[in-house]
Amino acid sequence: MTARNFFIPVTLFLVIAFLIGPFLIIVAASFSAGETLAFPPQGFSLRWIAKVFTVESFRASFAMSLFLAIGGTAVALMLGIPASYALSRYKLPGAEVIRTVVSAPIIVPGIIVGLALLRYIVVPFGVGITPALFLAHTALVLPYAVRVVSASLDNLRSDIEEAAVLLGSSRLGAFFRVVMPNIRGGILSAFILGFVTSFNQVPVSLFLSGPGVRTLPVDMIAYMEIVFDPSVAALSSLLAFLSIGIVFAAERFLGFSRYV
Amino acid sequence: MFQNRAEALALALPAAIFAAAVFLVPVLILLSEGFRSAAVDGAAGGGWTLSAFTEFFSSSLNRTVFLRTLRLGAIVTVVSAVIGYAAAFAIVSLKPSTKGKITGLVVLPLMISPVARTYAWIVILGRTGIVNQAFQALGISEAPLRILFSETAIFIGLLQLFLPLMIISLISALENMPKDAIAAARVLGANWFQVFWKVILPLTREGLVIGGTLVFTGSLTAYITPAILGGSKVLMLETLMYQQVSVSNNFVSASVIAFILIVMSFAANILLKRVATARNRVRTEARGTQ
Repeated sequence: MTARNFFIPVTLFLVIAFLIGPFLIIVAASFSAGETLAFPPQGFSLRWIAKVFTVESFRASFAMSLFLAIGGTAVALMLGIPASYALSRYKLPGAEVIRTVVSAPIIVPGIIVGLALLRYIVVPFGVGITPALFLAHTALVLPYAVRVVSASLDNLRSDIEEAAVLLGSSRLGAFFRVVMPNIRGGILSAFILGFVTSFNQVPVSLFLSGPGVRTLPVDMIAYMEIVFDPSVAALSSLLAFLSIGIVFAAERFLGFSRYV
Repeated sequence: MFQNRAEALALALPAAIFAAAVFLVPVLILLSEGFRSAAVDGAAGGGWTLSAFTEFFSSSLNRTVFLRTLRLGAIVTVVSAVIGYAAAFAIVSLKPSTKGKITGLVVLPLMISPVARTYAWIVILGRTGIVNQAFQALGISEAPLRILFSETAIFIGLLQLFLPLMIISLISALENMPKDAIAAARVLGANWFQVFWKVILPLTREGLVIGGTLVFTGSLTAYITPAILGGSKVLMLETLMYQQVSVSNNFVSASVIAFILIVMSFAANILLKRVATARNRVRTEARGTQ
């Protein structure tokens, strides 16, 4: 037993140090007073946290990423909720084909999606950079929307809406008054998962980004290749706390992990 | 179950058409480009050819990158399985309340942007980073070692990125294992090594395959990690693809890389589905005998 009592805490400590340690170092480095990225940090200051908000390109790309994550996920849900409903409640010819097509973007690496979109949609049809990024991020989030919404529909008894229809409600009325209130948690979870996926996505946006129009993570990579100061560390910490906060709130109020 | 076919199609088709137009058709055209003689050799007509593939593999740089990608994918998967078993085993044996907290800590990194997580390794592995400071202080090396922009750095970055997926898969596999299987094997005289090979491994195979597939395909198709930790010299398939397009304008070679990446991802996913259905069959049969 003593070997086991020793093995468990040591293993857990090492694994968690490896997984979380680098993040803590980034957080520490972002409070540095020095000019370059270093650990241990030289002194303490908030200057790099403050600098993040003054870098013009970060502001623009943050707004772009936020727009893509919110708008793209909203559109993906508008497409995905009806599709999930059809797949779970109707006898649908070719249901498997539709399911595969809709969830395929999850299997194909993002960089390929981005390049294909650039060459065969964006260039031939003269699509602008922002609409192109929007299309790509929507396609990327669609599989998650369908998967999470389908899961919560499958957990819901289908006879309650059949009962509503039998009692004289229209099919649409039954959906909005009976089904929607019951899958609200699943839809919100799909939104959060889609938001985080879209916001952190890099490869899809690489080829589609243009001069001055970039998503935040692509912008961060470009910035860190040129400047070696702690501002990317500061920005990373801020973003990390933001997404951890969102996911924690979601877990607390929705039981997020039930759906994902 | 509703029977109205027109209604069902009206609900499902917008999403399917969107995915087909924005994603499926462009990707299929991109993949076919690598086989078209008009695009590859500049020949007239619409013939098909494999010369883009032979040309791609005739370059020693491309072969190096291809093999490096496979090698890193395999090593990251094996190492994460070894660490994953140890970690999952330790977590499963905890009290339920502690178990939830520790699992939360393991999952936490998945919520942090991969760019931020990868960036941290620059601070740790750089010339003046913590590792080099420690090595010099301990007298292991005189001059700072070059760890960044190497295969080792990419390996460390990928392992940190994907290890949580392996641990979670193995935790649920270990929890689904019959509680007394290990105790029974021990009573019957098996040593810990035999217990692992003959009892734990077969009973958790499914979780291992799920975790392994996630880690392997994730590593093969990683872009951020090799881009930040490998630099412009130590390429993997995705960073090579990016270079081929943005630096050399070589779309044919990009199509070949896309084809290789997709074939490998699909192969891994089919394997995953196989194992999942095999498990369901076993369960149904077991239920049938009761």
